[in-house]
Amino acid sequence: MNTEAKTRSDAPLAIEPYDREWGVGVSGMTEDPSPFPRINKMLKWLKETDSTADSQRAMILTEAYQKYEMYPQNIKCAMALRDVLQGVDVRIWPGELIVGELAAPPNSAPIYPEFSVDWLIDEFDNRPMENRTNDRYVVSKKVQDDIRSIQPYWKGKTLSEAVLASYTEEEKKGSHLEKCVLLESLFMYAGVGHVCANYEKLLKLGFGGIKKQIEEKMAALDESLPGDVKKKEFYTAELIMLEGVKSYITRYGDLAAVMARAEQDPVRKAELERVSSNCRWVAEGAPRDFWEAIQLWHIATNMIIIETNGHSVTYGRFDKIFWPFYKHDIESGTLTREFMQELIEHAFLKMHQLRKIRDTAAIIFSSGTIMGGTALDVGGVDENGDDITNDLSYMVLDAHAHTRIPNPWMGVRLHKGSPREFKIKVFNVIRIGTGEPKIFNDEPMIQSLLNYGKPIEDARNYVGIGCVEPAVPGKTYGWHDSGSMNLTKVMTLAINGGRCIECSDKCPRWAKCGGAGTQLSIDTGSLETFTSFDQVKESFDRQMKYWCDKLISTINKIDFAHQRLKPLPYLSLLVDDCVEKGKDVSVGGARYNHSGPQGVGLGTTADSLSVIKQLVFDEKKVTGAELLAALRANWEGYEPLYALVNSDRMHHYGNDDDYADEIAQFVMNTYCRHIEHRPTPHGGEYMPGVFSVTNNVMHGTVVWATPDGRKAGEPVSDCIGPAHTQCCSHDRRGPTAIANSVSKLDMPRIGNGIILNWKFSPSAVSGETGRDNLIALMDGYFERQGMQSQFAIVGKETLKAAQKDPDSYKDLLVRVAGYSAYFVELSPELQNDLIGRTELSFD
Amino acid sequence: MLHYKNGEPAGLVTNIQKYTIHDGPGIRTEIFFKGCTMRCKWCSNPETISPLRELGVYPSKCVRDDKCGLCVKACPLDGAPIRFDGEHILASLAMAQACADCLRCADECPGRAIKLWGELMTAEELMKIILEDLSFYRRTGGGVTLNGGEVLVQWEFAHELLKRCREQEIHTCVETALNVPTEHMEAVFEYTDLVITDIKHMDPEKHRAYTGAGNELILKNIRRAAELGMKLVIRTPVVPGHNNSDEEIRAVGRFLRDELGGRIIQYQLLPYRKMGTEKYDSLGQPYPMGDFVPPERSQWEANLLHLASMLQEEFGLPAVPGSGAKLEL
Repeated sequence: MNTEAKTRSDAPLAIEPYDREWGVGVSGMTEDPSPFPRINKMLKWLKETDSTADSQRAMILTEAYQKYEMYPQNIKCAMALRDVLQGVDVRIWPGELIVGELAAPPNSAPIYPEFSVDWLIDEFDNRPMENRTNDRYVVSKKVQDDIRSIQPYWKGKTLSEAVLASYTEEEKKGSHLEKCVLLESLFMYAGVGHVCANYEKLLKLGFGGIKKQIEEKMAALDESLPGDVKKKEFYTAELIMLEGVKSYITRYGDLAAVMARAEQDPVRKAELERVSSNCRWVAEGAPRDFWEAIQLWHIATNMIIIETNGHSVTYGRFDKIFWPFYKHDIESGTLTREFMQELIEHAFLKMHQLRKIRDTAAIIFSSGTIMGGTALDVGGVDENGDDITNDLSYMVLDAHAHTRIPNPWMGVRLHKGSPREFKIKVFNVIRIGTGEPKIFNDEPMIQSLLNYGKPIEDARNYVGIGCVEPAVPGKTYGWHDSGSMNLTKVMTLAINGGRCIECSDKCPRWAKCGGAGTQLSIDTGSLETFTSFDQVKESFDRQMKYWCDKLISTINKIDFAHQRLKPLPYLSLLVDDCVEKGKDVSVGGARYNHSGPQGVGLGTTADSLSVIKQLVFDEKKVTGAELLAALRANWEGYEPLYALVNSDRMHHYGNDDDYADEIAQFVMNTYCRHIEHRPTPHGGEYMPGVFSVTNNVMHGTVVWATPDGRKAGEPVSDCIGPAHTQCCSHDRRGPTAIANSVSKLDMPRIGNGIILNWKFSPSAVSGETGRDNLIALMDGYFERQGMQSQFAIVGKETLKAAQKDPDSYKDLLVRVAGYSAYFVELSPELQNDLIGRTELSFD
Repeated sequence: MLHYKNGEPAGLVTNIQKYTIHDGPGIRTEIFFKGCTMRCKWCSNPETISPLRELGVYPSKCVRDDKCGLCVKACPLDGAPIRFDGEHILASLAMAQACADCLRCADECPGRAIKLWGELMTAEELMKIILEDLSFYRRTGGGVTLNGGEVLVQWEFAHELLKRCREQEIHTCVETALNVPTEHMEAVFEYTDLVITDIKHMDPEKHRAYTGAGNELILKNIRRAAELGMKLVIRTPVVPGHNNSDEEIRAVGRFLRDELGGRIIQYQLLPYRKMGTEKYDSLGQPYPMGDFVPPERSQWEANLLHLASMLQEEFGLPAVPGSGAKLEL
């Protein structure tokens, strides 16, 4: 056996060669991708298992809330979650080497009535989830009845109701409830998530070590001080929590022991015995080898999600966290490299079993039944700035090639010192076409954290939360996707006197808005009267300030509601400095606190303003009034103008054309200026992001026609990329021009991250030449401080074929935005948006 | 043939494609010139054949006569050459050629349904675009590829442009059929780092039947290029029914081995694919291979692999299927 473990090495010792190719654009369309037959078998089983909902968590929690009503909220929450962890059924599934569920069976979503319950019953009554074309759930009558039975208790007690009661008319008008200028509701109907636990600490101390720290802190309190009384409450909640944790993990150990005794197959029997001892040990103890470590890491993360269903609970930097265990086991001969490879693949399958039910409105635009945001990073530099790439970095990438499922959401950190062999591995996996992994550029990512005051060591240790949001693992509670601003809608208000372009008596707000002689927003001028482009820019700036104030005031209300109603005693065990400060993570216990709302529709907004500048002010081909009239008519009767604004005669963002690119910078900087560094209720600062995930489709539905040649209701541009309309794509000059345009933006200013979606036809990246050119393209983009990239490498023809014949393309995994999903499970709206993105093809 | 723009020498260019990756090493900017000395039946760039400007018409992009009509309004012949099928503009050979000296309709057409094939560009204008991607060439050993049509029809301008590239230390590649006067070729090769050329058939008559030209001059020029020490990539577009038999490809192999001493960078066997039909439509021309049905991918892929390994084994040539294999320069 080779007992060498390699780090910072050109010649990794993974089980696959570093330059293994798996094909280009083949995606998941392959039988038995893993060299481990058991993994292939479990993959099939998971894919055949319907998604369901499970009521057990909801029932136990509801009973506990009633029982513990008299306690302070954090203790009540701790007791309720403890009861859940002690009371839910536990199961071990055939072949599993890593155990632990989400307080529900695999592919089953638990229910979180504390956030909201009415919407779920509304779905049961009016839109049965088994009839959904995508995000289908089969919910049994028993579960439905259970949820109905607890609805009366929760009436008026849920977090969403508390927030809604606090909204003023002014806040409602632009919110998700009315005109959707902004979307602020993600954390209103569900938990926050978007966090990475301090796994290095947990794996070093175990839960027992954390318990000891709490007991020491508790012993030092002086209860004559009012502040210490609050801390006492906090520590009490933490200890209650640890009872639940111990019980939950131990119960899996006990079950495994029972199953081992009954097992006939000696190999499986030995495995179950080991699973049993793993669980019984890590229920309190610090893990002693890779297997125990991965078991603890997995189940500790699941408990974060059992506590709150916020998505984007992140798994951290795998190759950094597990390196000491891997190295020890290889060198001592405890476990083989092959076996650890299989364990990683088992862990991926466990992530793939997590489910979160979303409502009908949400799934049209953000499909995929999966939990979402199971981010896991490899590569990059350590606290000292040295490359950490090691055998595990390669093994994690191989694990994706071996499973081809959309979990985890993989990120690769690259920097100037990343080994060439590693890049080859990364791009060979990218070229499979599943959309995994995305790549981060360390330099601007680290700079973005420095811009928000992090010490250099912490900045270098960043992890991408969920989609792409930079955070310090184990120290940041970032509220990373707290809302989004429809930049395009704001632009339309800025050119039409604060009125919606489509303003008419058909609008539900008409009586109190347009019909009452007023308008949705403040009047900052109109294209009918502007005499210079500077006036347009000034108007956009004033509108942006107005709506950013509204976005922040609504997010603040949601933040306060979480502080009051949903303290997180379990998560507080795992995020610094909650235990140190004696403070729950929801009220500012974390070392770093943020709130990160995204700007959506950058490309559409930039192109619209660019068209206005060029046609109305520079070339004077149309008047502002004519352009507005064309928009109001949704371009009908203005077909030549529609063709013109979509044509290459216009300056459009994404073509390495300063005219339009400078306007994109203006749009981005205007949004950032009105968001960045403002205080959040739980401490810390707001920081903007510029990505839409799939929200660009949603935001597009509420925006009427726009000057860039977009018709009413079409999606706005996705993430930080160029726009495409029904008529055509606005980027015409290929990938180098996109790289040059996008990298003109000051990305490190965007503290909450960016996404750039690339779409290549397989032929454009095939062969060694195609691979090396793609690597060079990214090197060039990164040298210009481009921050992130992700890739869709599946031909347009394949996508269209899959739309027609979904049954033959069930395994076609594609990049959606911040994540990958099975194409045939996406809504038609989203499928069309993906097909419409520019495909860079060079036959 | 030398064109002028405002008194300055200029190239007549149909297309500038960035990030091309299959015509020379690395990331490249490829410039397509107008004018060709051959008429290959499988040509996928018909807009580059005529040495003059032409109009291409794309009915699907037309806003419609009744809603727009800007082309008719702009036309000095009151729209006489422009035809509509009731709603959308129609492509026609007559219009493609008759209107090429006027172009007012193309200037006015808002959606580029009337597209100008052939834009005059000076060396300075082209260099500006070429230099935008300089850092990407540097990283990959990429550069500029001149293509056509037959770029050597505009050999004086090509010479000037490549000279400027050489001054900037940009790698230069010329993709040419070499059916041109030898001295034109030699002039341009002064500043050429890599030559990509075709041998479409070894039999002069079959060559003439499918390309409109014999192969004598081409083979002579290839020999001369080898003599000059040029780095050569030789290609054969493998067209079913024309040159896809083992014997026909062996004949090429023999030439490469016996006459060039096998001194080539790579020999690429390219698949025939039915491409560029929409461009024929835009010019109002029929596709020369008409209703020929190309074989399935699995079929031609297998044949190309077979032919490449045959040439490797029998002639010791660096033969590869397709154009994606790395060039060992």
